[in-house]
Formats: sequence, C-alpha cells, structure tokens
Amino acid sequence: MVSLFIPCTVDLLMPEIGTAACELLEHLGEQPVYHQDQTCCGQPLFNVGYRDQARRVAKHFIEVFGRDERIVSPSGSCVSMVKHHYPELLSHEPSWYGRARELAGRVFELSQYIVDVLGVTDVGAAFDGSVTYHESCHVLRSLGVSDQPKKLIGAVRGARYVELNNATACCGFGGEFAVGFPEISQALVKDKATNFLNTGADVLLLCEPGCLLNINGYLHRNHPEKKAMHLASFLAGNMKEA
Amino acid sequence: MEAHTDRFKVTAGRELKNELSQIFLSLLPPGFTILRQIGMSSFPDPESAVEQARAIRAEVIERMPELLEEFERNAVSRGARVLWARDAREANDIILDIARQRGITYATKGKSMITEEIGLNEHLIRNGVDAYETDLGEVITQLLELPPFHIVGPAINVPPEEISAVFLKKGIIKEPTTNPIELGKAVRVYLREKFRHLEMGIVGVNMAVAATGTIVNVENEGNIRMTKSSPKTLVAVMSLEKVVPTMADAVHMVRILCRNCTGQKMSSYVSMDTGPRKQGEVDGPEELFIVIVDNGRSEIYRDRETRDVLRCIRCGGCLNTCPVYAKIGGYPYGFAYSGPMGQVLNPLLLGIEETSDLYRACTLCGACRQICPAGVDHPSLLLTYRAREVSRKGKDRKVEKSLAALVTLGISRAWIWNLGVRIMRPLFRRLAQNGNITDMPLGLKGWFTCRDLPDMPARTFHERWIDRRDAPLPERQRKKEV
Ligand code: SF4
Repeated sequence: MVSLFIPCTVDLLMPEIGTAACELLEHLGEQPVYHQDQTCCGQPLFNVGYRDQARRVAKHFIEVFGRDERIVSPSGSCVSMVKHHYPELLSHEPSWYGRARELAGRVFELSQYIVDVLGVTDVGAAFDGSVTYHESCHVLRSLGVSDQPKKLIGAVRGARYVELNNATACCGFGGEFAVGFPEISQALVKDKATNFLNTGADVLLLCEPGCLLNINGYLHRNHPEKKAMHLASFLAGNMKEA
Repeated sequence: MEAHTDRFKVTAGRELKNELSQIFLSLLPPGFTILRQIGMSSFPDPESAVEQARAIRAEVIERMPELLEEFERNAVSRGARVLWARDAREANDIILDIARQRGITYATKGKSMITEEIGLNEHLIRNGVDAYETDLGEVITQLLELPPFHIVGPAINVPPEEISAVFLKKGIIKEPTTNPIELGKAVRVYLREKFRHLEMGIVGVNMAVAATGTIVNVENEGNIRMTKSSPKTLVAVMSLEKVVPTMADAVHMVRILCRNCTGQKMSSYVSMDTGPRKQGEVDGPEELFIVIVDNGRSEIYRDRETRDVLRCIRCGGCLNTCPVYAKIGGYPYGFAYSGPMGQVLNPLLLGIEETSDLYRACTLCGACRQICPAGVDHPSLLLTYRAREVSRKGKDRKVEKSLAALVTLGISRAWIWNLGVRIMRPLFRRLAQNGNITDMPLGLKGWFTCRDLPDMPARTFHERWIDRRDAPLPERQRKKEV
C-alpha cells in the first residue's frame, strides 16, 4: 500500500499535481491512500529557523504517516525534509528519533518510487513535442534523484529530449529567500528561464513544486507563452487512455 | 578588518547592477569550475581523493587540541618561537611588538586571510610600521582600499585604467599604462626593492604539520617565498584549524587545495619551512615566530553544532559553485571571508546578530556542500544560525513569530488547517485577476518583483480527494479529469 504525501504548495496552489500523481499511481496498478489529517511537512518553518515549531509538526507527520508501508510525494524537498531533517530535529527524543529514522527509509519522491520501487520507466505516455528537464536542488543533491525522471521522460513516445544548459543550477527559489532577496532571486530565475527559452523546448519539466511556482511565476510575468510543468502532470496528462 | 556585513543587501543590489562585476562573475566562477573539474580528474580516483581529504579534516577537528600541542613542541624543537593569541587584538599586539623591538619600519606580507580577519595591516600602519601586500591582486586592493572580490583574484574586476591611476599616484609607474604586463612588471620592480632591504616578513599558513613543526604555503607568484626567505625575522600567522597531523596529510591537502582552487595539480610555488635558518644554511630567516590565533575558534570548537566550520581549508571551491556568489561577487559579504565559506564563518566570528543576511541569503541548494573537499555542511550550519537567531529573545520578528505559532497550530491539526484554507481563499481570490496574483501586501512583496503567483484554485487537493471519494463510481472515472 502506498500513501500519498501531498505538500502544502500542491494542496493549496497546484492541486492538479496531486491529482496527476494519484492517477499515475492508479494507472500503474497502485491504490494510493490519502490521509486527510495531513497538512504540511514543516519545511518552511524549519528553513526560517523555527525549530521547536518544526519539531511539533514533525511529530504530527509521524503520527499521521507512521504506519504506512510506503509514502510517496511529488516534492523532492519535502521528502528530504522528512528523510533528513526529521531525525535530526528529533535526535534528543529517543523514541521519536527511532520513529523518524524508521519513517525515513519509507519515504520516496514520486519518480524515484515509480522507477526504483515499481520498476517502471514507461508509463504509457505519448507527447508530440520537445521537452527539457530542470534538476531541482533537493531532488538532485539531497535525494540523488536524477536518472529516474530522465528515464521516465525518455520513455514517453514521441517526446524529443533537449538538454538544458546549466540544468543543475539553482532556480533561485529557496522559499523565504525568494521573498527576502528578490533581486538575487530574480537574477537566478531569469538565468533558468533564459536557458529554457534557449533550448526551444515546448515544456520544461521538473519534480519540485517550489521551483515550479518560481519558474512559472517568472515565465507567466515575462514570457507568458512558455511554461514549466511538474513531471507528474506531464506524464498523467499525456497518458493514452487505457 | 572592519566588518560591513550589515550592508549585504545594499551592496548586493549595487553589484547586480554593476556591469563590469557582472561580466567577471559570468566568466570567473564557471571558468574556475571547469578548471577544477579538469584538475580533479587528474586524480586516478577523484572521489576517493576527496574522501581522504574529508577524513583528514575530520581527524583534525577531532584531535585539534593535541595536534596543536604536538605542532608547538616540534616547531619549538626546530628553533621556532610559538606565540598564542587569544583574539585579534592580542595577535596584532604581539606582531607589532616583534616589529618594534627590532626597530622595524616596514614589513612585506604574503596573501593571508587570517591577517585580514584580524586587521593586521591597519594595526601596523596605524602604529608606524608599514605593511606592504605582495600578491599582485592584494597590492591593488590594498592601494585602492577595496575588499577582495574573489578569493583567488581579489582585484580581478578592477579595470586597468584604475590600476594605472593608483600606481601613478603611488609612484609605482612614471607614465600611465593600461598594459597588464607593464603594470605587473612595475609592481615586481617596486616589490623587489622592498624585498632587498627586508627586515621582517609576515605570511599566513596553509598547513601546519604537527608531526614535524613545518609550515606550508602555496602560491603562484613567488612573493610568499620571497617574504619568507628574504628577511631576518619571519612571522607566520595561523588560525587554530590550519594544523594537520602528518606531512603525508599536508601533501594530500595541498594536492586537493590547488585542484579545488585554480584547477592546478600543484601551485607554482609550495614552500615548507621547518624552523629558522640553521647553522651552515645559506638562506632563510634568522628567527621564525609562529603566531597561533584563536579569535573565537576555541568556542566554535567546543560547540558541537559549529565545530565543523573549522574543517574549511579556504580553497574557494564553494565560492565558485555558489549561485548567489555568482550573482553578487565578494563585496556584499563585508568581511575577509566571502561566499559560502564566509556565510558559515563570519556569523561565528562576528556574531549572529550582525550577520543575519549572510545566513539567510541562501537557497539551500547544497552545491557548496557537494563540492567541499573538507566536508563542511554549509546548509546545515546556516540552518543552525537561523534557528539561533529565531530563538533569541527580543522584540524583533514579533509579527513573524506569532505567525509561525499560528501556522504551527494549523499544521498540527488538520481541521484548523482546513478552516484556515476556507478563510484564506476568499482573500486570495479577491487579489487575483485571470487566475493569477500579481502583487500582494504584507511582507510578501519581494516575490512579486519579477513573478506572479497562481490563484488558489476553487478546491484544494484535500477537497478534491473527498469529492472524488464521495462520487459514485462512474463519476469517479470522470472526476479523474479534475
Ligand atoms: S568551505 Fe569547503 S569548499 Fe569552501 S573554501 Fe572551505 S574547504 Fe573550500
């Protein structure tokens, strides 16, 4: 049984990504469950420095998801929060620490789950156009997930893959950073957008809702004809009817 | 060195608009990154080489006190004098005293970050001892009174016209010229004069070998070697963490340092000094002082949460890979250390209160941690500083703190969360036009300087899930499309 962990950004602002993740998993024969008690993993609190608060949130998360066999999320940074930062946050409370450690091994980023756990690379999607991929920092560097999404993209019939220049460079999101240091953030997201435009690809794919908000927010303002898309939405949206 | 970390945002804003800085920044970090890759690939097994370096640094920070004592014993037995300085002022006074006791009027200096940290040049000059930088870039920044732009090329962004003007003013050249070769040559002639009559040289230390008492310096211009070998009196200044256990460790760290810094397998000059000149030897200083500077490091060391900062070997690799540094350069960091290295180090040296922008100006992308051959976990340290700032009792951040408390309450109970959603949605929707929000009041303005935000959709995922679950089976198929 796989349990859906839907990040707050997806829940509130981009619910279609959650729906897409759900459809993808169902299409692959899974029957995902969704705990209605879930809220947010606490990453924003933790990153700004509210550790005590983040600790409370972590405990809530562990209560909600603690019994699940496998937990899947369409966000690399939220998975990294649970996997890496929960144990660290709870390191002084042995029983919670144990539960956090135990949970850490059962949380997966969506593309990682599909490719590594389900062993699927071809989800049966087709797309007539060109695509490129942004390697989100947490997906790539915190989780080491890079081949998995590329394999999934590679198996989409008809899709032409174009390499993104500086694909591993940060898009300048960083949560609080984008609000606190708008000029630096702008310079970074502008580079990312420019590199995307230079590929000439129809769509920029990624596995991180934060980057998506940032890059699409910038594109919407400055290049409204172009857009980035979560890999889950792309795959689910281009799936041939079974 | 006087710290200007409080001007981070202003200076960053200025640098983002400075065309010349932007040109250099678009070339320098990517260029060094490529050189680094080429350099590292010359190891038979680059990954193991980095692992080994990290292990050496891990050992150093585990055994630092005993290693320092061992270093002192061995350096002293080879004739060096080891002096310990608790803080910047003590270090500066020790060095000034050495100069005064010998009636010294000027000293030459090798490029060294620790002497910048403690503000040695200013202290000596204020007290009547001239201190001349001898690294080409440092000569220029010293004359122009600029902070370093880049760790390897501190003055690389300064246009030749400006260099020519200041050289002319200081009498280093007679005729104005923008020819870099002539400018370089002029400095060489100017410095040779200083070296010829040199009484006292001051250098930093890249590695201090505990097992042998040797100090090791790497450089590319030969000026450090001149500063080390020309004078009667040599003063080497090092911070605690420069110590390494053995010569083999030092050599490995040199190989790693050079590759990570400039991509060289070895810098043009590597000099190793074990004690001063001995009887029968033809050159070297008559006396060698090694000043070991603490300046807050014992405390950093004692604190398990911050100790890892002392792993840093100042290779500069993290500067070249940092997306933020690549946009703003070295000036905004406002102290001797810039880039991720400065972001982790400056707050501990200068205080959490004065350096907030440094540890917040980071997207936590993790590129620095990945590249660091010393095993520094920058994001984790920055997060620690952020937490420390927040947990400080004070009036500031009052609104933010109440907001955080509210959010925490909401996150910990789904019904409050969902209630919050129902309250927030109409507010959001009122701001939106055609499904997008282009501006928002309250502290969120920064987002909208270059970006829009999608409106909150009519149904959250949570609500969609319930809709879907409650829908009759055929509907459920159709509901897939939501
Ligand atoms: S933190 Fe690491 S990468 Fe950065 S300068 Fe220090 S040793 Fe080099």
